[in-house]
Amino acid sequence: MRILRSWLEDFVELPESSEELGAALTMAGMAVDGVEQVDGETIFELDITSNRPDAMNHFGIAREVAAIFRRPLTPPRVEFPEDSRTVGEFARIEIEAADLCPRYVGRVLLGVEIKPSPDWLRRRLELCGTRPINNIADLTNYVLLELGHPTHAFDLDTLNERRIVVRRARADEEMRTLDGLDRKLSPADLVIADAYRPVALAGVMGGLETEISDRTKNVLIEAAWFHPGSIRRTARRFGMHTEASHRFERGADLEATVWAADRIAGLLGQLSPGVVLSGRIDAYPTQVQRPSVALRRARLAGMLGTTVPDEDVVDILSRLGFSPQPTADGWRTPLPSQRLDVEREIDLIEEVGRIYGFGKIASTLPPMAAAPAPKPFEDEEAAARETIRGLGYDEMVGYSFISEKDAERFGSGEPVRLRNAVSELMTVMRPSAAPTLLHAIAHNIRYGEESVRLAEFGRVYRGGSGTYQEPASLAMAATGSAREANLQEQSKAFGFYDLKSDVEALLGRYDFVHVDFDDRDVPDYYVPGRSASVRTDRGRVAIVGEVDPQICDELKVRQPVFLAEIELDKLYDAGLRRPQYRPLPRVPPVERDFSLLVPEGVPFAEIRTAIGLVDYLERFEPVEIFRGKQVPEGHYALLVRAVWQRETESFRDEEIQASAVAILDSLKTKLRITLRS
Amino acid sequence: MTLDEKAHQPLAELIAAGDSVDSLYSALKDAFEGERTAVSSADDLKALRDRWMGRKNGLIAAANDAWLKAAPRELKPQVGKRQNEIRQAIEAALEQAQNDVAALGRKREALDVTLPGPERRLGAKHPVRRTLEEILSIFRELGYSVAEGPEIESFFYNFEALNFPADHPAVDEMDTLFVEDKMLLRTHTSPNQIRIMEKTPPPMRYVVHGKVYRNDAPDATHSPMFQQLEVFCVDENITLADLKGTLEHFVRRFFGRGIKTRLRPSFFPFTEPSAELDITCVFCAGRGCRICKQTGFIELLGCGMIDPNVLRSAGLDPEKYQGFAAGFGLDRIAMNKYDINDISLLYNGDTRFLRQFR
Ligand SMILES: [Zn+2]
Repeated sequence: MRILRSWLEDFVELPESSEELGAALTMAGMAVDGVEQVDGETIFELDITSNRPDAMNHFGIAREVAAIFRRPLTPPRVEFPEDSRTVGEFARIEIEAADLCPRYVGRVLLGVEIKPSPDWLRRRLELCGTRPINNIADLTNYVLLELGHPTHAFDLDTLNERRIVVRRARADEEMRTLDGLDRKLSPADLVIADAYRPVALAGVMGGLETEISDRTKNVLIEAAWFHPGSIRRTARRFGMHTEASHRFERGADLEATVWAADRIAGLLGQLSPGVVLSGRIDAYPTQVQRPSVALRRARLAGMLGTTVPDEDVVDILSRLGFSPQPTADGWRTPLPSQRLDVEREIDLIEEVGRIYGFGKIASTLPPMAAAPAPKPFEDEEAAARETIRGLGYDEMVGYSFISEKDAERFGSGEPVRLRNAVSELMTVMRPSAAPTLLHAIAHNIRYGEESVRLAEFGRVYRGGSGTYQEPASLAMAATGSAREANLQEQSKAFGFYDLKSDVEALLGRYDFVHVDFDDRDVPDYYVPGRSASVRTDRGRVAIVGEVDPQICDELKVRQPVFLAEIELDKLYDAGLRRPQYRPLPRVPPVERDFSLLVPEGVPFAEIRTAIGLVDYLERFEPVEIFRGKQVPEGHYALLVRAVWQRETESFRDEEIQASAVAILDSLKTKLRITLRS
Repeated sequence: MTLDEKAHQPLAELIAAGDSVDSLYSALKDAFEGERTAVSSADDLKALRDRWMGRKNGLIAAANDAWLKAAPRELKPQVGKRQNEIRQAIEAALEQAQNDVAALGRKREALDVTLPGPERRLGAKHPVRRTLEEILSIFRELGYSVAEGPEIESFFYNFEALNFPADHPAVDEMDTLFVEDKMLLRTHTSPNQIRIMEKTPPPMRYVVHGKVYRNDAPDATHSPMFQQLEVFCVDENITLADLKGTLEHFVRRFFGRGIKTRLRPSFFPFTEPSAELDITCVFCAGRGCRICKQTGFIELLGCGMIDPNVLRSAGLDPEKYQGFAAGFGLDRIAMNKYDINDISLLYNGDTRFLRQFR
């Protein structure tokens, strides 16, 4: 909103420095976004919050200035001669929808001459960013900018029966608004009608057929008060936003109706020949009375944390238009009609506080009255984040919404859909973080970053009909090399087992009884046979594997991408591993290697299971796998290393021998695995 | 027959074949001396030691078994003496060789220590996360608890309970994304004020953070998803002065002592009085620039005293309890702190960007 310094000076004496004035307004809650000098005029660009329609005009700002600087406020003069003929002889106003229009004030001007406005008025409008049209239209705009109340001028002679009816539109009615568009109306819309047809969309925009034209001689001025909700709904439905609707939506001043109509009449003499008919039509079926509100002295001090002197309280409220009267514990004041935002004690406290100055309020720290509560799973989350970083994954954050196409590919069942999506690419709340990570990998590859490790801590979304779940999700994605080539080593491509180890390192921090990998139940955006479910005593906690190369190809990623999706809530529920000291062995371990001949198709997990529990067997792990001519058909050669460990007593050869035989026997009988000769 | 073979032959057979005790031990000694001079590394030395002094298969152990233990009674003293001499000589020589090798270890080819080793990459912490953690630790020092709360939220918690009149432009200004008629993506973290106050008896002080959503097309300064942090404190006598003091403390700890603040009246439906906290413009140090519109200040956060209607909808008596709340965009603070000019960088997973925050 643009405010002219010279216009403010019509109502209040200003501090000399515009900078000081701007700073003072800002610190009272009327944020000055900029100060501009144009043709000797100082223009303030103000950002008025939506609760203060009363300040969206020059007089409203002048009232604030008067309160801040404690200076007298002079309202504009509204004296003018009236014709002997009375307004009632020339026009009639009826309110049918009093719930949406409690007051409608009309004045009639006869014998006007439509022409350009005088320079001084055109200049003010232009400096405020309003285009001058003709003297009568300009007059309504001028009063809007001055007093903040939207008014409308009808060509009286175009109104059938010179009659105004304020009513809801009928179902099949149409009208053409000033912007030339035909509007199909509904009973939800409040209209101003003449005897037969709607002539204005109430509080939003006038109609084309009754607008002021070069031929206009007689004018009906409307100054009414419309229900904010009704104006808002109509303006929204038609996608219209006008200076009038902007103010009515936020709540106009019921008493300003009379004042605005009179102010227009008062200015007519400077703009046009013509006369103002005697009196005004004031259709105001039910007098609106606002209640008075009490302000307790103790409550004021208790809320602000600072005591404001009584005389300051009274001065501030009075200058803002309140009339505080002393009571036993403070004051009581009626509420001025322009301040619909003030209706409670706390609202008065804000008024006093902001004009008194938040800057004068003390700075204190509240006493600590209770110990903080720990956040659930705080340590569990910190451990996951620290591990992921240690493993070399860069932490990213991605959008929670994905495209319909991705939702189909990466989800199962009905996803959570947005009713009003930002764009086609963001219509569904993601059921999986996989697409987020894959798009990020693709983004990096597009910029030549071919070795990427990314992880995202976030949520995935499911549910519907009022009930939703947002489980915590960790997704890890890697592509390119696990190790870049360097002076000491060759490069090594990132593979399934790299990601598997990373996931195991993470899971190892939590208190699971066991962690096993198998190739069942993996979603089809992974490559079958190169992906796994990770199961624990708390069920499946993760999926890890290579991403379907076709999906990668569509994203222009032409290198293997590995992805892990981890259900963090299950890790957190398991809790962190609780280490417990075990005495250190006093003798070294014994190691033995076995070269086994294993039938194809027997996975290592089965071999490990087959040997069962063996006394003192500390480790049993694969060292080398070999397939080739030297290995009999249908088999592979597997070198495993067994390690025995006892705490205090060295092993005798016979003991190890016996243990080894038992292991080999189990493998032979259960899995037909033999020693390679 | 090689010396190794001889070491495993019974002494009597060797003598019968023409060897003598002296010649046998001299040959052993010569062989050892020869091999010892060839030692030039710790590995060589270990091999030499194993070959000669190995407990089971070493040559000296073999000679002990085949020669000494099997010696005819009359030769035993002589063999025993020679066996003992050679063992001591070899042990001494090995000891000396150990020292030589260790000394040698310091004289190997020098490395170019300026060459890089293989890269060990630690993952980066996202700049918003960094900012968040810093802020959380400041409020934890002041005794605040931390919570998050749901992102898919009801109209009630997001608006109604926070004193947004159903038919008010403020609801429009939030540009809400809906998933159902009365369910939406939270537009701010404030619904958690209600959720927490409903469950927690005062006094309470909380920090709530998380993702929030607005129907904004993404560009350099807008993002349909961003991250917010909100602090609130409720007790019987919490005042605007407490709000001011708390925020000033936070700003000093986070931005440094040189930063000035000002509390400026504003409007939010869920606070009354409402204010915005401005801080010295970090881009021009308060001298005035394009970004701060020449004011020397930039807007940091919105705050105020919790509106009595909000306390009431959370089941608290506003005549008894008062509180303050303050909320801000973590993204904006991170962008200020790290001089990031494009919000989309925070959400596209570009590792060239993320790695700057290792
Ligand atoms: Zn600046």
